[in-house]
Amino acid sequence: MIRLIKAKFQFQRIALAATGAFCVALAAGASEEVERPLVGTPQPVKDLHWGDVLFYFYQDDFLQALTRLGAAQDFNRLTHHTVEAELLKGGLYLSLGQHEEAGRIFRMLLNDNVPLDVRNRAWFYLAKVWYQRNYLQEAADALASIRGALPGDLEPERHLLEAQVLMYLGRYDDAVRALERWQPGGKRLDAWSAYARFNIGVAFVRTGRIDDAARLLDAVGQISPQTEELAALRDKANLALGFAWLKDGKPNEAKAVLQRVRLRGPQSNKALLGVGWADAAERRFTKALVPWLELRDRNLLDAAVQEAHLAIPYAYAQLDATRQAVEQYTRAVEAFEQESRRIDQSIAAIREGRLLDAIIENDPADKVGWYWQLQNLPDAPETRYLYHLLASHEFQEGLKNYRDLKLMQRNLASWELSLTAFEDMVDTRRQAFEQRTPMLQQVLDRVDLDGLEAQQRELELRVDEIERENDVAALATAREREQWEKILRIEEVLQRADPSDPLVEEMREKARLVKGRLLWDFNSSYKARLWKVRKELRELNVAAAEARRRWVLVERAREEFPARTEQFAERVAGLKPRIAQLSGRLERAAEAQNRYLAHIAIRELESQKKRLAEYSLQARFALASIYDRASSAAPSAGGTE
Amino acid sequence: MAVAFTSAFAQEPQVSEDFKSLDQEVQSLKKEVLDLNRELFVLEEELLFPANTQVAIFVSMDVGEFFALDSVTIKLDNKEVANYLYTPREAEALLKGGVHRVYIGNLKAGEHELIAIFTGQGPNARDYRRGATVKLEKGVGAKYVELKISDRASRAQPEFIVKQWD
Repeated sequence: MIRLIKAKFQFQRIALAATGAFCVALAAGASEEVERPLVGTPQPVKDLHWGDVLFYFYQDDFLQALTRLGAAQDFNRLTHHTVEAELLKGGLYLSLGQHEEAGRIFRMLLNDNVPLDVRNRAWFYLAKVWYQRNYLQEAADALASIRGALPGDLEPERHLLEAQVLMYLGRYDDAVRALERWQPGGKRLDAWSAYARFNIGVAFVRTGRIDDAARLLDAVGQISPQTEELAALRDKANLALGFAWLKDGKPNEAKAVLQRVRLRGPQSNKALLGVGWADAAERRFTKALVPWLELRDRNLLDAAVQEAHLAIPYAYAQLDATRQAVEQYTRAVEAFEQESRRIDQSIAAIREGRLLDAIIENDPADKVGWYWQLQNLPDAPETRYLYHLLASHEFQEGLKNYRDLKLMQRNLASWELSLTAFEDMVDTRRQAFEQRTPMLQQVLDRVDLDGLEAQQRELELRVDEIERENDVAALATAREREQWEKILRIEEVLQRADPSDPLVEEMREKARLVKGRLLWDFNSSYKARLWKVRKELRELNVAAAEARRRWVLVERAREEFPARTEQFAERVAGLKPRIAQLSGRLERAAEAQNRYLAHIAIRELESQKKRLAEYSLQARFALASIYDRASSAAPSAGGTE
Repeated sequence: MAVAFTSAFAQEPQVSEDFKSLDQEVQSLKKEVLDLNRELFVLEEELLFPANTQVAIFVSMDVGEFFALDSVTIKLDNKEVANYLYTPREAEALLKGGVHRVYIGNLKAGEHELIAIFTGQGPNARDYRRGATVKLEKGVGAKYVELKISDRASRAQPEFIVKQWD
């Protein structure tokens, strides 16, 4: 009867799918108020592309975040965030349900080269991976490997995870002790702790440890309901404990806790039904009728309302009000049959395949991942029963898969369009190359780089020689050089002239003075001029090397460009069939998912129909018994209470 | 008791083997799509924005007390290349530390002029429009420019910083 469905942590928000009997508890609110960073305390952004990844991550666009993270790693752009990037990547894979990949990444972070806080978080996420895959002992071991406290809200989540793991290992007492160690009970329980206590309480009920269950559930049933979510949890705890006590034969205790449940909350139908049964158990049938009659006018979709339709005539029968009992049984049979016909219509609509698309179209959010939760149900006849189905983990997970598959199909369709643009780009590259090659060749042909380098080498040799020979005149300016040569020519002429001529002697003296002056100038500026020439030579060297480097680059580009273009062409061509093939597989998987979800929806509806049929049978049987008794009893039958 | 109250509650369906095998198939498909996405993303960048001509402009924010960002307009060499309007969700992501690549394109080597115009709400919820101009020297490698919106507490005013990364 009371069955605890394995609660499941979600990545950013914890969603505990709790019990079939006792509700689905969502702890989203625990994280709604303070949003927790995925990987603990964020560090300042030191690489722009790391910030780019976070931009999408913070918008819960995990597909885009993971794509950009992978690309940034491929381009080696996250050098300052190597470890954080891996941690985030593992987390993103985990959020997309890729346990194996996530587990592989987290395990790689468990070495001595990474800081302790990263290792701790890796252990924590690894524990989640194991837990989600039902490797409970491994999860417990991973949690035990954490040293010290985790940052922020990861710490309470860790304790909750520990309690959950111990609970599923059947170590209920250890689970409770772990919770007590972390946060002793009281009216102001924190939401995480309250959920953990609730789950363990329900587990105790399942194993028949009602007193232990009562201790936990009673505490949760009296927490101060600061948020709607905590109020809902409080209701669920009271409901769970109320029914446990009813089963345990303590109707008065049961009634007291069931009356704590809010009259207008989602659990109110079940609570009203239970309060009625608590009175009925004490044979206070008139009192029992009060909540049951209230229930009778509520929506017959609810199983508690259906049961009230049978409980009311049962109470009348117990009160010997046979006429009312007959009326109410007859009314119940009609109501059950009507409801059964409506279920048939819904089954037919689901068989036509409209169910999932109606749900998906109704929800505008465009994100993949586990955190997606269906916000609104479409107002269609076939979705009337979905409220029941949605409580099931199986349906939720299937729905998310279906939705992810559809989103990924759209994603690939948009890439397919881009591929056409890529092909155009490749063609443009080819054409541009063909057009530019002749021009490029002309430019290259005009430049004799080898000749220039030879000239440069010759220059160097000459300067070396000038230095060696201390040839100061060799570094003269053009004008000085002209003057120098003129003097040399004058000297030569004077050499041949009559040395006895006084005028020649005077000319020689003047020429010697001018030559001396020039030589003095050459000598005095020689060092500066040599330094300048050497400097210019060095600059020439640099320029020549740069010219050679560019030449090589241009040559290499000219050689490699066509090959690179063809590589692009190959990559584009190779991606096209992959996209087509994956799109086909996505389509087929989505169809399979659709069929499967329709199947479980129909299975659920058929089980509801079966229950209605059973109720109907019970009502008819009760009616037959009443008629039997009436026909064989005294004519006083049919009176009222 | 003629009717057991226990029947009022539907049992939670078990996660079946059918679901598991379908789920496994879906997970492996997802992995393939994720890998393909990364490859396409890398190819797109390599093909359309080769490293030697690539220029990318990013927008980041720190505290954001004095400025609520509405939009950013980017002009390169006096030509408008991007005009981005931020949703509240995106602005929130920026405040948490996300960095938005608002533009990626190609530029020849040499000097260029970048003008960024920010609009939003400044101090006292007044409409605010501010521009920043910067000269970019584009070299051989990719050029990244960060437009950082920062709070200058001393003057209770936002500050717009342009930072060039190589």
